[in-house]
Amino acid sequence: MKAQNRNAGAAAVVLLALCAVPFLSGKFAIYLTMRIMLLGIFAVGYNLLLGQTGLLSFGHGAFYAAGAYGLGLFGAHVSTHPLLGVAVGVATAVFLALLVGYLCVRHTEIYFAMLTLACGMMAFSFFWNAREITGGDDGLIGILRAPVSLFGGIRIPIGKDGQFYFFVLFFFALSVWAAHRIRQSPFGLALAGIRENARRSEFAGVPVRRYRLAVFALSGAFAGLAGSLEALLESNARPFMAHWTHSAEPVLVSLLGGLSSLAGPLVGSAIYIAMREIIQRFTENWMLGFGIVLLVIIMGFRGGVTGTLSALFRKAAAPGEG
Amino acid sequence: MPEPLLATQKLSNHFGMVCTARDLDLRFEPGVLTSIIGPNGAGKSTLINLLTGHLPVQTGKIRFRGRDITRLPIHKRVRMGICRSFQVVNVFPELTVAQNVMIPVLARTGRGWNPVRSLTRETAVLRETEAILAMVALLPERDTPATALSHGDLRLLEVGVALAAAPTLLFLDEPTAGMNPVERARLLENIRGLARGGRTTFVVVEHDMDVVFSLSERIIVLHRGEILCDGTPGQVRTDPKVREVYLGEDVSDLFRYEEE
Repeated sequence: MKAQNRNAGAAAVVLLALCAVPFLSGKFAIYLTMRIMLLGIFAVGYNLLLGQTGLLSFGHGAFYAAGAYGLGLFGAHVSTHPLLGVAVGVATAVFLALLVGYLCVRHTEIYFAMLTLACGMMAFSFFWNAREITGGDDGLIGILRAPVSLFGGIRIPIGKDGQFYFFVLFFFALSVWAAHRIRQSPFGLALAGIRENARRSEFAGVPVRRYRLAVFALSGAFAGLAGSLEALLESNARPFMAHWTHSAEPVLVSLLGGLSSLAGPLVGSAIYIAMREIIQRFTENWMLGFGIVLLVIIMGFRGGVTGTLSALFRKAAAPGEG
Repeated sequence: MPEPLLATQKLSNHFGMVCTARDLDLRFEPGVLTSIIGPNGAGKSTLINLLTGHLPVQTGKIRFRGRDITRLPIHKRVRMGICRSFQVVNVFPELTVAQNVMIPVLARTGRGWNPVRSLTRETAVLRETEAILAMVALLPERDTPATALSHGDLRLLEVGVALAAAPTLLFLDEPTAGMNPVERARLLENIRGLARGGRTTFVVVEHDMDVVFSLSERIIVLHRGEILCDGTPGQVRTDPKVREVYLGEDVSDLFRYEEE
């Protein structure tokens, strides 16, 4: 199919460009690109819940933080192997997501959103108050970036940002690929069915709650992955990772880029991080500037940036029609 | 007496002071094409909603193939073989016609949990989907989003989605409402054919008496949540109580058949 080839081509170009970043640009650009990829992992997983299944969660910061603290605590007490740490971080996030999800998925819409918000803030106050375990308001500091040792004694150093960049890129590419596969799979179609008509899904024989729980945990895994990578990037895990303001980031980013495509949250992440950097140069109150831009995009660009652009392309490709 | 497909025992339902089902004892035998009729507010939809799990049962019991399903959630009843279509079209609007039918097929075959395999490789599911689309004559529209279908095609899709669950007992809630005569004839022919096939037992709620009397082997007349009459089309046609209830409503339709 033509569209498929075009998408694969675009993905290859983006991947190549991302590979070239550390060789062509300075430290700051490398750091920013990593932040974009982290937010991208967070958002592309989150959008499986929001865009694909139609569930709005305001608590995914908790799973992000669970990933970061999971990796941090595992590093401090057991092993500093980064791959094991990431695995533990993701597992912690999935465990927490299953727990929270079990309580929340029996409700939908505003009730679901508020319950996830409440659970997220409970997680936040746990990270903030359990000083003996989590370091309280200081968080966990001094998380190490030990070399990645693989079977056969190969050791890949990731201490420098230019090296760690490829560690992040690997997981970013893996996440995007996984999200793509999920969207094209039978599971993805069942999720879309739940979004379109949950009641009819039940009458189609789909155990709706169990699917909702599954995708909730799955999106929690992506959040945990992003969180554990951020812990490695910033050498710390902070309670504010679980704060609801952080939980709102993937929501904003998905809206910004477009809910209905895989690329939407990724484009949104890039715009969000870039804009934050640019607006922060001019004013302390960058949220004000960002709010205005978001307002314009939501009111002027139905379906986000990607939705509007693809509609424009379609129009350009088929002249003479409306 | 053989085991009925589905049996209810003192099934009741109240909305506030309004009683929409009162101590209903009903049996549905396999293979008997049944219609449920009655004036507006007679409790036809309530009955379907109770039997399929759409409404929680307040009092009474439902048994399906000898198993108590009174408290079973919807999707489990569907997996056991009870399905329904809806009076108001109730499909997956933004999905294509093929995807609409594919969801129940995936759920029934247990393949809906696979998160990595591409849908295009589910050849068995795709083949079955096409067979169902062919059955409801929607194969040419397979890649059209449901929102873009005409009303008649939407009704066909509604029935197609219900059939895709491969039910042993299928409730159709006014399946031909708003269809043109050609579409209606085609759909009824389909239902007759499937009923003869014997895999699915149909229970149809209809307002159109042409449809009811030409299609059914058994007719249940409901009135204010109670069974007014239950029997063959011949018995129902001559029942004085039915005449009374329908007086001034569908009289002409109902009694035209007597003259044939």
